Amino acid sequence: MQAGTIVPAADSMIVVNSEQTEWSRGKTVSDVIKEKNYIFPLLIVRINGKLIPRDEYDSSVVPDEATVDIIHLMSGG
Amino acid sequence: MTEIEMITITIDGRSIPVKRDSTILEAALENNIFIPALCHSELVEPYAACRLCIVEVDDGRRAKLVTSCNYPVRKPVTVYTSSDKVLRNRTITLEMMLSRWPNVQIIKDLAKFVRIEKPRYKHPAVDLNPNACILCGLCMRICEQGIWENIINFTNRGAVRAVRMPYDSDQPHCIGCGACAEICPTGAITMVDDPNQPFDADMVRRAGMRITEEMIKFDEEQCDMRGVGTAHLVEIMDAYDLLPVMNYRYGKHADTPKISSDVLRTFFTKGKPDGCWLGCTMACAKAVEDFQLSTGPYKGEKVLVDGPEYETLGGSANMGIFDPRFVIEYNFYCDTYGLDTISFATGVSFVMECYEAGVLDKEKTGGLEIPFGARDAALELLHQIGRGEGFGLIAGKGIRYMKKYFVENFGADPDFVFDIGMEAKGMEYSEYVTKESLAQQGGYGIALKGAQHDEAWLIFMDMVNKQIPTFADKAEALHYFPMWRTWFGLCGLCKLPWNDVEPADNAETDEPAKVPGHVQGYCEFFEGVTGKPQTMDSLISMSEKVYNFQRVFNLKMGFGKREHDAIPYRSAGPVTVTEYESRQDRYDAQLSEEVGIDPSGMSSEEKVTAMRKYREAQYEQLLDAVYKRRGWTNDGVPTLDKLQELGIDFPDVIELVKKHGG
Ligand code: SF4
Ligand code: SF4
Ligand code: FES
Repeated sequence: MQAGTIVPAADSMIVVNSEQTEWSRGKTVSDVIKEKNYIFPLLIVRINGKLIPRDEYDSSVVPDEATVDIIHLMSGG
Repeated sequence: MTEIEMITITIDGRSIPVKRDSTILEAALENNIFIPALCHSELVEPYAACRLCIVEVDDGRRAKLVTSCNYPVRKPVTVYTSSDKVLRNRTITLEMMLSRWPNVQIIKDLAKFVRIEKPRYKHPAVDLNPNACILCGLCMRICEQGIWENIINFTNRGAVRAVRMPYDSDQPHCIGCGACAEICPTGAITMVDDPNQPFDADMVRRAGMRITEEMIKFDEEQCDMRGVGTAHLVEIMDAYDLLPVMNYRYGKHADTPKISSDVLRTFFTKGKPDGCWLGCTMACAKAVEDFQLSTGPYKGEKVLVDGPEYETLGGSANMGIFDPRFVIEYNFYCDTYGLDTISFATGVSFVMECYEAGVLDKEKTGGLEIPFGARDAALELLHQIGRGEGFGLIAGKGIRYMKKYFVENFGADPDFVFDIGMEAKGMEYSEYVTKESLAQQGGYGIALKGAQHDEAWLIFMDMVNKQIPTFADKAEALHYFPMWRTWFGLCGLCKLPWNDVEPADNAETDEPAKVPGHVQGYCEFFEGVTGKPQTMDSLISMSEKVYNFQRVFNLKMGFGKREHDAIPYRSAGPVTVTEYESRQDRYDAQLSEEVGIDPSGMSSEEKVTAMRKYREAQYEQLLDAVYKRRGWTNDGVPTLDKLQELGIDFPDVIELVKKHGG
């Protein structure tokens, strides 16, 4: 897992899967997933290393300067 | 994410938010409120047979007794799980049950729970069997709804009502999955026949049943394999710029929705497995029935088509054709002629690009006008291949042959056709764009059989998750996954139940990408069949022996060295200026951030060249790392030490390997 190796470049930035991404107050995990167009269903989300259960994506607010890992598993033949 | 409507209800004085349309029983169970329930299981639809789960529901206008297992929450109601009325009713029901089945443990336990010592009645049809059938109907529901088999059902009425196979026979159609026995609360069903005589049949069945349970509970929300099979990947690959479009030039297309899984769903036969593997509840092999063909020897006839799955759909995008009826038709004729849809589609994509680039023209193709998107020409070429005629005789021999043929006979520029002809070791690429995932380029290039992703599919890990940033990380992934996936081949098992459904606790494990819960299941499966206990590592070492032996075999046949792991540049980066410019922002950023070159002021041609130099060097470094991890020489040959360690250092193997510097 990548948590911690790449740090947010500035205030109001978060790192999502090692990419600098803009942050805004109240942004939830679901918002980030939508913004990144992560439509794959088998995701595992960690904010600063802490696992976020699937049914909390809508309510989990991402703090500023967080490191968010949205791990895609694999599927298909 | 879709908004879920929550409704707050009160159960025994507790306020509980509940998802609209979930049942009162589900809400109670989720909140640790016990309601006795005999015919309920989250694996099947409610049946409301036992009536033990009754509760009193007050909607503000009146209170009534309802069975909680099938009462959907649609408005805020007040629920009493043990009001006097409920208890009285439940006690009578249980007393009746106890009088009929006095020795069935689960009935005895529940009776004790409502403080019945002895029933007051004598039942006329009393059954003293401790494993008596209590007519809950769970078995027949899981057989029909979970396994999609519909073998067992109730017969007769009243006291002689019983679960039976049709005509009281030994049903040859029962697949012996054991789901009915597993779900039966009394032990009334037991499996008696194990024709293959595994070491421990129960162990095998339990491992299988866990997958079945996950499929029933999670599949619809996860990959929907039961609904549409791997076709669900079409729109996903498009969203991640990974769907091959026009011979892997691009990764998405505006017309992808026309061949998305939603469209295919309307064609697929529903609610039935296609018989790919009896009893497999993933049931991802879909079928289209009564499909009327528009071309070829069976034109006008209605046929059954086995598929299409993702690769066949992706292959169509690769040919620039976004028409579901075309996909189904080329799927059918490939199957009929004994052709692989991947090799056909990737091969025709190459033909189309050559046609557009002027390498081919109507004269050379014997009259076929075949640019990207040429649906009718693609089908005509397919029939020519099937008949062994005309241009089909050339195209049917595959990309490796065509490249040589076009250079020798049509004066094609060898660099161009070798860059865009998507094959490795003579086998056509399957349908994923690998340009942005170095690890996946290796996954295709190093694969023993040729350019197939079935040894390792690492694109998400590498490109999206950025989980394997270093060469060593990528090499580790290109060790573990090919070995693991080889294991399925060794055992004759399908790999899809491993990671196309995810256990509920997978996210909490150390290495979710490996799906440790399922690997454990395969260990149990192996032990159940052979009696030999296994671990994750022991499975991998089985494969490592075979995998290395296969590499030696490749070597013997002239395909086992570094030069054979080379890939066409199209799979590593943009070959043409148009391709570069279509993703210019991405590539420019990479040039400055990864390569360390300032792209401003450079022409697109210069950028293509600079990018190519960098990416080709990266691929070579990847090979170095993978060979090292696998215990191979820098030329990709297994070392003597490795062969010894694996116990495959047979004299002729050593002789061969030594000759190649191993
Ligand atoms: S073993 Fe499987 S297929 Fe056979 S009756 Fe039971 S649930 Fe149905
Ligand atoms: S056999 Fe078992 S599962 Fe089937 S109806 Fe009887 S008790 Fe229920
Ligand atoms: S569990 Fe509701 S009627 Fe049996």
